Amino acid sequence: MSTPATRPPDATPHPAAAAPGDDIKFTLPPPEPTGVSSLVVHPLARAARQFVKSLWRPSTIVYPYKTPFGKTTERLESPAFRKEVGIRSGAPLGVGEIWDNYRGVHALNVRTCISCNLCMFSCPDTCIEMVTTEGPDGKAKKCPEIDYGKCSFCGFCSDACPEGCLSMTARYTLTTNDRHHMVYSPEMLYTVYKTKLPMNPVRLARPENEDNILLDQDLCIGCNACARDCPTKCITMIEIPKPGAAKPGEKLPKRIWKEPSVNDEDCVRCGTCISVCPKDCLYWGSHG
Amino acid sequence: MSEMWINMGPQHPMTHGLWNLRVKVDGELVIDAVPEMGYLHRGIEKICEYRQYNEVVTLMDRCCYVAGLAWEQLYLMASEQALGVEVPERAEYIRVTCQELQRLASHLMWFAAFVMDIGLMAPFGYGMRDRDVILDLFQSFTGARMTYEYMRVGGVRNDFPVGFTDRARGVMDWLEHRVDDYEDLCDRSDIFLKRCVDVGVLKAKDCIRTGITGPMLRAAGVPRDLRRDRPYSVYPELDFQVAVHDAADVYGRYRVRMEEMRQSIRIVRQCLDHLDKRPGRVMAEKVPRFVGTPSPPPGSESYIVRRGYPKGVGLSAMEEPHGEAMAYVVNEGGEQPYRVKFRSPVMVNISAAREYLVGYRVSDIPAIMGSVDICVGESDR
Repeated sequence: MSTPATRPPDATPHPAAAAPGDDIKFTLPPPEPTGVSSLVVHPLARAARQFVKSLWRPSTIVYPYKTPFGKTTERLESPAFRKEVGIRSGAPLGVGEIWDNYRGVHALNVRTCISCNLCMFSCPDTCIEMVTTEGPDGKAKKCPEIDYGKCSFCGFCSDACPEGCLSMTARYTLTTNDRHHMVYSPEMLYTVYKTKLPMNPVRLARPENEDNILLDQDLCIGCNACARDCPTKCITMIEIPKPGAAKPGEKLPKRIWKEPSVNDEDCVRCGTCISVCPKDCLYWGSHG
Repeated sequence: MSEMWINMGPQHPMTHGLWNLRVKVDGELVIDAVPEMGYLHRGIEKICEYRQYNEVVTLMDRCCYVAGLAWEQLYLMASEQALGVEVPERAEYIRVTCQELQRLASHLMWFAAFVMDIGLMAPFGYGMRDRDVILDLFQSFTGARMTYEYMRVGGVRNDFPVGFTDRARGVMDWLEHRVDDYEDLCDRSDIFLKRCVDVGVLKAKDCIRTGITGPMLRAAGVPRDLRRDRPYSVYPELDFQVAVHDAADVYGRYRVRMEEMRQSIRIVRQCLDHLDKRPGRVMAEKVPRFVGTPSPPPGSESYIVRRGYPKGVGLSAMEEPHGEAMAYVVNEGGEQPYRVKFRSPVMVNISAAREYLVGYRVSDIPAIMGSVDICVGESDR
C-alpha cells in the first residue's frame, strides 16, 4: 500500500485495524539526523526549539503572563507581536492540504495542566470530562478526557486554557470501528502532544475587565476549602478578627478567624473556589 | 383528466438539500406547487437559549453551511447591540472581508450547482474548484474549511496572519478573470440560454408582495441592497455598486449573481488595502464581564453568580448571499440569550414557489429552483 506524497504525516494506513491508542503511534517524529555531530547538536537544537515554542505558546491569557520585563498586557494585539508570532498561523503543511492552525485532535501537556476545569466549562458540546490520571510526579491528577464522538472542534477549550497546555493539532484522522475508541484519555492526548505536530498558535485574548473572585465576609466560615482546591494556589487564608462578632464598644473576640484572600494576578478565573465553597460566600464581581 | 401531484423531493437532485416540492402537473405543465420545508429542523433557535453568547457562534456555522461567516456576523451584530459592545474598526473590516469572501464562495457554489442543473457539467468543476481556493483562504486564518467559529462578541478571534493580504489579492486577481470566463462560457451556450431566458419570470411587484429579497429581487429590477440602503458595519465607507437586471427571469438572476461576484472582489480589495495600512485591535477592549468567562455545566447550582447584567434587545439585518437575513436577540440579563430569532431569506424565497413555477414545464423546475439559491440549513434551522 503506497502512500501519496501529499498525504499529511499523521494519516494512518488503516485506522480500523489498530487498537485504541495504537493509531497515534503511527505519527512518527521527524527523522533524526545521523552522524557524530548530531549527537551533540541535535538535542541542543531541539531544546532551543522547545524553549522558543514555550515562549509563545502560553500567551492566551493576558493578565497572568509575566515576562522578565514585567507584565505585558497586550500581547496578541500589538502588531509587533503579531508579526513575530501570528505568522505561524498561516503555514501550509502541503499543497492544497491542511494548515498548521487547523483545529484537529487536541494535544494535552499533562505536565503543565493545572486541573482548572476551564476546558470542561467552556465546551459547548460537553464532550470534556475531567478524569483522574497519573501526573508527572506520580500523584493523581485531574485532566481532561475528550469524547470525539461529541466534539465539534470549535477550539473554545484551547482558547480557555490559561496555561496553554491544551492545544489543537493538525491531526484529523479519527476513524475507528468502535465508538468507545473515540474517547481519548489524557494519556492518549499526551501522546498526541509528544508527537510534536503543529499546534494552533493563535489564542484568544481575554478581555481586560474580567470578573474577580469576591468574598462575602459575613458568610465565610474559614473552612479552607477554596484555598485547598485552588489550582493555581492563588488563595491564601489570612488571619483576621471575625467580622460582625464584635459589637460596638465591645472588645474584639479572642478567636481569630481565617478568610481567603485572592491574588487576582495569578487567578485564572476557573471558579473552582466558588463551586467548592460550602456557604456560597464567594462570588463573581468587580472590586470597583 | 391528466392532473396529478408529483413529489420532487425530499431526495431529488433539484432540491439541493432536504425539502420537498409538491407540484401539480397537467401533462408537462405545472399548475400548482407547494413547497414543504422542515426536514432539516434542528431546533437551533431553542438551543441558542441554553448557550452562552460566544458559544452560539458554533451553531451559526451549522445554520448555513455555505455562508457560515455571514450568519456569524448576523448573529453577533444583534447580540452586540443587545449587550452594548463596540467593535473595533479593524475587526469590522476583517468581518466585511469575510462577508465578501463568503459571498464569493456561496455564489461560486451556487454557480456550480445551478449550471449542473441546467445540464452543463464542466462548469461544476470550475465553480467548486474556485470555491476551494477561497476555503483555503478561510482555513489560513480560521483553522477550518466550513465550520469557522471565527467571530466573537466584540470582534474576531484572531487577526489575519502576516502575508494573508497579498495571498488574498492574488486570489482576487485570479478569480476576476475566472468570473469573466464563466460568463462567456454560459452566455455563448445556446442550451443555457434556451433554458434560462424567459423562464421563471417573477416581476418586481410580485417579488415585493411575496417578500422575496436578494438576487431574485434585484434581478427583477429593484435596486435594493441592504449594504447600501440600510448600511451596517463599514459598508458606507466602501465603494461598490448594486447589481440590477431587468429580465426578472432565471437568466437575470444568473447575471445579477455574476455581477455581485465582481463587486465582492472590489470590496475585498478595498478592505485589504485598509487592513494593510491600519493595524489595531481586533477585539473590543471592554466586553461584558461574563462573555469571556466559561459557564459551568448545568446542575452545579453553587456556581451562582452575582454580577451586574446589562439588558437589551438587538436587531440586525444584513445582505446575506441568499437575500436579506435578520436576527433578533433578547438579552434579559444573564449569560445566555433569552430568545434568538432569525429571518431566513431562503425560507421566504422558497415559500413563493407557486408564484414563479406555475405556468412552466416540469423540465423548467430544476432551472427555476436552482436560480433561487437554496440553502435548507438556514431556512429550517
